[in-house]
Amino acid sequence: MNWQEFQRIFKDCKLDGNKIIIKSKLHEVISFVTANYTYNILKEIIANDKGDGKTELIYHLFSVDDDEDLFISITVEGETESVTDIFKSAIADENEIYDLFGVKFTGNENLKRLYMPQDWKGFPLRKDYVQDDTRLAWNDDNEA
Amino acid sequence: MTITKLKLNLGPQHPSTHGVLRLILELDGEKILSCEPNVGYLHRGMEKMAEQMSYIQYLPTVDRIDYLAGCFYSELLCRIVEQALNVELPDKVRAIRVMLLELNRIASHLLWTGSFLMDLGATSPFFYTFREREMILKYFEKLTGQRMMYNYFVFGGVRKDIDYLEDVQEIINILPEKIDDYEKIITDNPIFLKRTERKGILDKETALNYAITGVNLRASGVNLDFRNGDYLYKGFDFRTIVLDGKDSWARYKARIMEMRESCNIIHQALEYLKTAPTLEQRLINPLNLKLPEGDYSAQIEAPRGLASCFIRSDGGNEPYRLKWRTGSYYSVNLLRKLLVGEYLNDAIAIAGSLDFILPEVDK
Amino acid sequence: MNYLYFLYIEFLTKHNIPKLFGDITFYIIPFCIIAAALIVAVLVLVLAERKLLGFFTQRKGPNRVGIWGVLQTLADAFKLLCKENITPTHADRFLFNLAPIILFIPVMTVLGIIPYSSEFTFVNTSTNVILYLILAAFPVLSIFLAGWASNNKYSLLGAMRSISQVLSYELPIAFVILSVAVLSSSLNLTGITLAQFSKWGVAGWFVFPCIIGFIIMFICILAELNRCPFDLPEAESELICGYNTEYSGMRFALFYLGEYAMMFANSMFIAILFLGGYLSPFGKYLFNSSFLIYFEQAFWLFLKAGFIIFVMIWIRATLPRLAAFDLLKFSWSVLLPLSIINLFIAVILKMGGIV
Repeated sequence: MNWQEFQRIFKDCKLDGNKIIIKSKLHEVISFVTANYTYNILKEIIANDKGDGKTELIYHLFSVDDDEDLFISITVEGETESVTDIFKSAIADENEIYDLFGVKFTGNENLKRLYMPQDWKGFPLRKDYVQDDTRLAWNDDNEA
Repeated sequence: MTITKLKLNLGPQHPSTHGVLRLILELDGEKILSCEPNVGYLHRGMEKMAEQMSYIQYLPTVDRIDYLAGCFYSELLCRIVEQALNVELPDKVRAIRVMLLELNRIASHLLWTGSFLMDLGATSPFFYTFREREMILKYFEKLTGQRMMYNYFVFGGVRKDIDYLEDVQEIINILPEKIDDYEKIITDNPIFLKRTERKGILDKETALNYAITGVNLRASGVNLDFRNGDYLYKGFDFRTIVLDGKDSWARYKARIMEMRESCNIIHQALEYLKTAPTLEQRLINPLNLKLPEGDYSAQIEAPRGLASCFIRSDGGNEPYRLKWRTGSYYSVNLLRKLLVGEYLNDAIAIAGSLDFILPEVDK
Repeated sequence: MNYLYFLYIEFLTKHNIPKLFGDITFYIIPFCIIAAALIVAVLVLVLAERKLLGFFTQRKGPNRVGIWGVLQTLADAFKLLCKENITPTHADRFLFNLAPIILFIPVMTVLGIIPYSSEFTFVNTSTNVILYLILAAFPVLSIFLAGWASNNKYSLLGAMRSISQVLSYELPIAFVILSVAVLSSSLNLTGITLAQFSKWGVAGWFVFPCIIGFIIMFICILAELNRCPFDLPEAESELICGYNTEYSGMRFALFYLGEYAMMFANSMFIAILFLGGYLSPFGKYLFNSSFLIYFEQAFWLFLKAGFIIFVMIWIRATLPRLAAFDLLKFSWSVLLPLSIINLFIAVILKMGGIV
């Protein structure tokens, strides 16, 4: 991965260890690195809640031929572009993140409640998620 | 005449979905037009749980992510903590861990072999493979007191010194012969060949695009085994099984060959352990264990593909965020591509050949 | 049968019972005997299957109820009797209930036309082979009704598979039976049995001139019975239980009973066509008394049928299931041409006077 070249094209980014932190143009960046370098697996997308409705997404790319990892990090607010047209495995990751963090991915038609029941309120892995939901049996108000 | 599609809800309670997977299929006759996997019936909130538990509280629960190969997930968590605190494992601990991981891998592949054949309608191999798996589980029971959720690896080492090595010796003496037996009854069986050859073809590009790892990827001709760069396996001599068949049969054969290779690794570990000195390990004190602030990640080649763990620590007692990556989740995602255009009875065989289990998918 | 009839009438006249009573009851008694024998046979058969499968897979099989688990199937049957009969909400109630009953018509009739010994055939028509050919395909009607009436997609798919399977495997059976009929110059099961008689016992059996036919017949019977490796209609790992997914309690037991009874009947049928039926494999009977000979003949028939059932169970323990498409292809492109070749061979052998 040629960092200089990358920085010349996408100016608004910085390097932190082996992690590239970008501010926008997620889809463009991912398609650029997959087209110009040998990254051919999107191992996973890691989501972190940063509070204030912001979510950090870390795209973990891997190159089989060079045995090299690349992390691309972006902080989004509620909505971002889907990369399912580049990596089909992102269907699964994005759906999971939608379910647990509430981040919407435009362009992914498969977004639905995955682990949580269809009518579940809130997104459990967010830090502002309230756990004492009245619908849970052990939090039932009427019981007391 | 109008052709109406038959919408079939396969699962969540179905004999061959390996747990509680639900596939929403659209059928034309028996031909599958579309497939939509629906998971989450076994969700236990492993990631949410981690945010409220200290590391040592969380350690016993991670075996449950994959109850057929629990060792791999305890190893991952231990590995992250060791990495974060810069603890180097003694050689003996490494050998013990490798031996148990590989035994666990064999047990998992054995179960898969049996249940795959069960999916194809042959009942006997299921009992044969369970017979050998039983030997491995008995050994684990003797050593750790548990048959499936071992909780044997702890931060910085193992819970107690290895023992009953003669049992392991017996297992790896018997196993290659038994695998020969399975191959006799299965591998060249004409019906088996008809059901698996050129069925469920997964080419290299699709596999990579769907982030398929592990045996499924290697059966599609990609040489990618995360054991190769693993510090735990340093010094062990083993072959990476790469087959170019791309079909269900190749995935079956690759697992069979991998079991033999695992026997080989166990043999090396065993030879070392037989002469190794008594165990001296400096365990990390789990009480008040805090990881320094930062991101940590670790990965391992689990039986069902790459397993990895990501921890973001804010310096507290609990991880700020913990994320598991499991191979099965991506295999299930692949079904939406692989099953389209297949007939229903082939679909079951193809899904079976991918070797996913649902606790790993649902986490 | 005439012999038994005269014995019976003689017995009745001795006790001053009118002959009319004898004429009527003589045809009712056999069906009662069949019904009773059928249940016993099925209980034994299911137990044998489970025990054998246990041995094949290095288990013990049923071993808790009674000595060596011999009462296990009885206990299972009792359990099924006690269970609730559930009819799915949107099922066609009438057809749903009718299906398991219909299954019994062909089963009982097939058992009625089989010559158990030289004098012991309940219904002895001159062309009962044709009758068998029709009846053997009859259970598919019941399966179809069950699959359709259950209002379950798995049942429907199972029924669909079953129909296509039986349709394509019926034709090779017809050709094979035709070749046996050519060899024996008879369409009567007793006639076919007697045609296989020779001084050297085994040597006269049709399995030798018709070895291809025997194998085709065996495969087709497996397919008609929906047994492994042709158990697609009830493929457990694909269709839950196929056409009987929604059945429970006694109705399920009836399906089970019918299926195994059909298996028993069909094995006897193969034994009659190819393995000399009730004839002794040694050319002469071990007993001389005319009365004991009947039992010996029945014993030989059951032994031969038992051997065929054993092979069926053995195959079940060994082979995986075929795919639906391969199954039909196998029948039309392999079995059918082979069965026609088999017919030619039979005709040539007959014309050459070799058999």
